[in-house]
Amino acid sequence: MTSTVKLVFSNTKYIVLAGIIFVGLLFPLLIISEYIFLEPYVVGHIPSGTEFGFSLIVILCALAALVLPMNIFRIKMFRGSKKKISGGVFASFVGAAAGACSCGPIGLAVISTFGSVGGVATSFLTNYEIPIRIAAIGLLAITYYTTVRSLKVECKLNN
Amino acid sequence: MAKKGVLAGGIAAAVIIAIIAAYAAQPASETMNLDMARTHGTVSTAMGSPILGDPDAPITIVEFGDYQCHQCFNWFHNTKPAITQDYIETGKANLVFVDFAMLGRDSPIAAQATYCAEEQGAYWEYHDLLYASQQGIDDGWANTERLQAFAFSLGLDMELFDSCLDSGKYQKRVQNNIAEARKQGAQGTPTFVIVGPNGAEQKIGGAQPYSVFKSVIDSMI
Repeated sequence: MTSTVKLVFSNTKYIVLAGIIFVGLLFPLLIISEYIFLEPYVVGHIPSGTEFGFSLIVILCALAALVLPMNIFRIKMFRGSKKKISGGVFASFVGAAAGACSCGPIGLAVISTFGSVGGVATSFLTNYEIPIRIAAIGLLAITYYTTVRSLKVECKLNN
Repeated sequence: MAKKGVLAGGIAAAVIIAIIAAYAAQPASETMNLDMARTHGTVSTAMGSPILGDPDAPITIVEFGDYQCHQCFNWFHNTKPAITQDYIETGKANLVFVDFAMLGRDSPIAAQATYCAEEQGAYWEYHDLLYASQQGIDDGWANTERLQAFAFSLGLDMELFDSCLDSGKYQKRVQNNIAEARKQGAQGTPTFVIVGPNGAEQKIGGAQPYSVFKSVIDSMI
């Protein structure tokens, strides 16, 4: 498993890509989920009782930063199927959407635009924020596992 | 004749004592808002909550919030206690809550219920109880039956409370508050407008930590 990760990330391009995905996903998510505020001062804050939700966001971003570059590598090197990467992108999107639509500007915009249907959607995403994020992490973990297996077969690696 | 006079005097004294006792039983910091032109800076708070704290405090914190919003819950539990202790109880600031009840179908009803509690001098107790009891959006924790149960647990007159809630008499008041929140550019809940002694205003969006409120308020005093 480590050899496949080493193989992909021996190329600095993929390390940079992973860094961009991690930072590019983490910061907007922390802002949307109100762990980072930009006005009137830039400040970070993890309210008591929300530590678990914060950890899930970090895990989700780290897994997305691991899985997506590995799939891009696989597609580029072996012209493999795009199914796995779409699973990773979907999981990242769902994980990001959970909780992002609650009391903040996005939630208000969704409710204002779509009325009661938007209200139902935002309440669902808010009420089930933690299970949805856990499911997204699970989906990313499965994508990681299948990607590693497929890379092992395609690269004929022993471990 | 003298006996009748003593009896009438006794009844009159009892009535006066009962009125004074009822008045004294209301929390000192809570008065029903009867000022329909009340504003704080550019914010019309006429339809909002009674003022928590000293009405003459130099700083007013206007909170636009929703009883079903989990970020409002976070602010209520993590930031508000320190603000209450350091600014509201010391007379440096007061707080007005203006409903931005937009998250679910139970949000406006919960907001209306707080004004029914206000009729009995228990706005802030009811407000606090709602935030202490918050669960998921529209999952039943703030339906009519539960709102009645909250009122019962506070020892409110249930006949008065139920007739108030059933009548929907505060529906317009809540709608006006929502309109005021939108007018002030609130883009989510909670949103705060801190109004200083010279009318200067600072908007704070979200359940920000105590340090941010402290910096803003201290810069205005």
